[in-house]
Amino acid sequence: MGILQRVAKILLVCVNLILLSGCWDRKEVNDLALIVGLGIDQKKDGKIMITVELIAPKAAGGGQMLGGGGGDGGGGGGGKIVRSGTGTTVADAISNLQEKLPRRVFWGHTKVIVFGERAARAGIRQHLDFLSRNPQARLRSNVLVSKGTAKSVLELIPPIEQSSSEVLRELSESQLLLRVTIKDALQMLSGDTGAAALPMVKILPREKGAKELQTIAFTQRTAIFKKDKMIGDIDDKLTRGVLWLRNEIKRANITVSLKGEKGNITATMIRAHTEFVPKYEKGKWKMIVKATTEDDIILNGTKLDLLNPKYAKMVEKELENQMNKRIRDALKKVQKEMKADIFGFAEIFHQKYPREWNRVKNRWEEIFPTVEVVVKTKAYVRRPGIDTAPQGLPEQEVKK
Amino acid sequence: MFFFKQSKKKKQMAKNQKKQNQNQIQSQNQQQQAFLSTDLDQNLQELQNIYKNCMDVVFRQFQIGGKTKAALIYIDGLANIEEIDAGVLTPLMKENHAKENTDQFIHVNDILEQKLTVSKVKRVQTTTECIEQISGGNPVLLIDQQSEGFALGLSNPEKRSIEEPGGESVVRGPREGFTESLGTNLSLLRRKIRSPQLKAKSIKIGEYTQTEVVISYIEGIAEQTLIQEVEARLNRIKLDGILETSYIEELIEDNPYSPFPQILNTERPDVVAASLLEGRVAILQDGTPFVLVVPVSFYSLLQSSEDYYERSLISTATRWLRYAFLLVSLLLPSLYVAILTFHQEMLPTTLLVTIAASREQIPFPALVEALLMEIVFEALREAGLRLPRQAGAAVSIVGALVIGQAAIQAGLASAPLIMVVALTGIASFTIPRYTAGIALRMLRFPMIFLAGTLGLLGIMLGLLMIVTHMATLRSFGVPYLSPMAPMQGREIKDVLMRAPWWKFNTRPRLTGDHKNIQRQGPNQKPGPDYGDDKTSKDQGGS
Repeated sequence: MGILQRVAKILLVCVNLILLSGCWDRKEVNDLALIVGLGIDQKKDGKIMITVELIAPKAAGGGQMLGGGGGDGGGGGGGKIVRSGTGTTVADAISNLQEKLPRRVFWGHTKVIVFGERAARAGIRQHLDFLSRNPQARLRSNVLVSKGTAKSVLELIPPIEQSSSEVLRELSESQLLLRVTIKDALQMLSGDTGAAALPMVKILPREKGAKELQTIAFTQRTAIFKKDKMIGDIDDKLTRGVLWLRNEIKRANITVSLKGEKGNITATMIRAHTEFVPKYEKGKWKMIVKATTEDDIILNGTKLDLLNPKYAKMVEKELENQMNKRIRDALKKVQKEMKADIFGFAEIFHQKYPREWNRVKNRWEEIFPTVEVVVKTKAYVRRPGIDTAPQGLPEQEVKK
Repeated sequence: MFFFKQSKKKKQMAKNQKKQNQNQIQSQNQQQQAFLSTDLDQNLQELQNIYKNCMDVVFRQFQIGGKTKAALIYIDGLANIEEIDAGVLTPLMKENHAKENTDQFIHVNDILEQKLTVSKVKRVQTTTECIEQISGGNPVLLIDQQSEGFALGLSNPEKRSIEEPGGESVVRGPREGFTESLGTNLSLLRRKIRSPQLKAKSIKIGEYTQTEVVISYIEGIAEQTLIQEVEARLNRIKLDGILETSYIEELIEDNPYSPFPQILNTERPDVVAASLLEGRVAILQDGTPFVLVVPVSFYSLLQSSEDYYERSLISTATRWLRYAFLLVSLLLPSLYVAILTFHQEMLPTTLLVTIAASREQIPFPALVEALLMEIVFEALREAGLRLPRQAGAAVSIVGALVIGQAAIQAGLASAPLIMVVALTGIASFTIPRYTAGIALRMLRFPMIFLAGTLGLLGIMLGLLMIVTHMATLRSFGVPYLSPMAPMQGREIKDVLMRAPWWKFNTRPRLTGDHKNIQRQGPNQKPGPDYGDDKTSKDQGGS
């Protein structure tokens, strides 16, 4: 057989392979509704209402404004549209939403999932299940809980960013407070502890003169979940204590004042690490938490020259006390009052004492509040900044 | 199957016919294999018969010293007429009457040694040889009563001067290029490599064109087996005529159905000289400035001669840039199509929104859009090459408008795609060898199709097919992807980087039994120690 015939046959097979397998999942970018944020609310009658925030390419690129469907988007934010749909489940609600959208919903760019408070209290597992099953949705999307309805958060028109979802994503990425992705949330829920913590957002009050809806939502609190149901929330100060206990703290400023000195000293954290040492003795569970931090001084309102090791030691001591207090406050609220093991103590005990833990794992909810926690903190002041002595002070007044 | 069988029969018939044709040609040749007779008139009669209806062939009859009849046959325009007048006709016709020769018989040797002031003279005995010399531009002198003639090396064909080659210009490096004259080209080579080991073997190819083809190599460096293979493949060629080395290229390459060139062609004597020094073989042809070099690997097609003239670090960076843009020229449009039709999640949201917004007014799917603009670009490139110089500016302005602003405003293409097309175009021209660049440029069309039907999966399939195909290719027995596949550690320094010259200790390994591999002396690396005592002592010892 000649080579030409052979080539022709191979080509025929190739062409058929391509054409028969076809382009069944081909979808042009202009046939897609690019969803950047998804909000899940529960109505009073128990039905699920989803709200999606989508980007309208025309308005974004061409400068031509499109009126929003959900809220009045034409007000000057531009580029984004908010739509809602209802149903008995999220999937149901999405098909309801799809009826109102000319383009196919596309989850590949979903950045945030916002649960309304009511939906969070009713349970979030089934919603997360849907999202983790969907091949388009990303497990790296951030999960948040909103103080009011999720819809009210998504329909805001942020002054700086293009969409509310982008605002929420940026805030989560900053890691000032808790940051949780779908994957993290699922891991927390399926872990030994049976508790989870999600960041909670609140709508920032509108500035004077700003139009309606022209504001953002910001992460300020933390929602505490037991099993998959929200049981309460804590404020930002307590959240920082929780971050210490989860070994997740990345950025923090701590302000202290020294005894017998006027003025404050503020330190910023450059590194932090928390170590957990579990102990099980005579039927008593005990956890030693060793938190260490390295700080830089960014503000010195006192007259002390911090190059003097004596004063630096004093600052370190005070920082340790502050940290200790923050952690204790968080423990008091979350461990004693809410009784939710969002710190992951259960896993730590499980790893160290598997046999003992297995005996009590069904009663963990009762045992957790009784666990004795010893908090040991250590702080190091590494650098007093590029100016060592207190600035703007006559030299004779500085305490060396 | 029936169709195939029939075509086979037809082929066989065609083969038989070809054989008969060849026999005819050979018999014609045999007729001309006659020896010259001693009778001048008879010889002239025969030649005039052969050159019937050839008005450019001049038969000049005269008498040597007014006694002996002689004739000069040459082709007008190919021979140097002034030289003929001064060096042949004048001395022969003005033979001294005073020094009367009692002997009626003229000694051929006397004429040769005393009279002809021509440096290159060759004796011809047969009519065939006569014709060969005349056609080559050398006048042939026939003398009565002699059974042999003289072919005088006085050919002077029209020549172009040596210019810088347009297709392979460099910033640093020699600026001379080959011309259409084989003699000039060989002299350019000889000027670079003066060793007598530089050989040049001549072959005539083409039944009618009788084109002179020269195989050049350096004895002792080039493998004997390789030279034999080149000669065997060239001798196999039976063709009416060859007008360019590309004819030869197509007739001797290993895999004729591949889009990839397996033989390097160049206009630069320095490239050929460097290749010869690496043990490669060059094939030169009269009438074209393009010289073939065999064997080559894919990587040598991605190298420019300037790589070796620029500093090694910079050349290394340039090479990597080329590799990157090679992928761009092959893949960028297909990636655009694949991502926009199948994998929208792979772009950052902001970029996707911008692209989607610019595509909002486009009526075509991304596949059609990309194909359309790529074809338009290819057409522009092709038109730009063939244009008469006067119209060039007009077309390039119109082209820039058509492919740029106007296409976007007319809603035929989106701005990001125009950028993709432009980038692809630029990328394909970063490949120094035009033939290699064009192969990759053409391959991107099937890649766009694959991307439009199967997405990134299709691109992977296409890439696999291309790489597999390249791995099967050979250039005169040398694997096309060597030295990467099969891996040859020592030579990688000329692919992944351009090692400094003092690191190139060995020649590339082109065939199996490679003996003479050392290319330079030890310790070529410059350093503070090597300038003084140490090396001078070494040299003194050896």
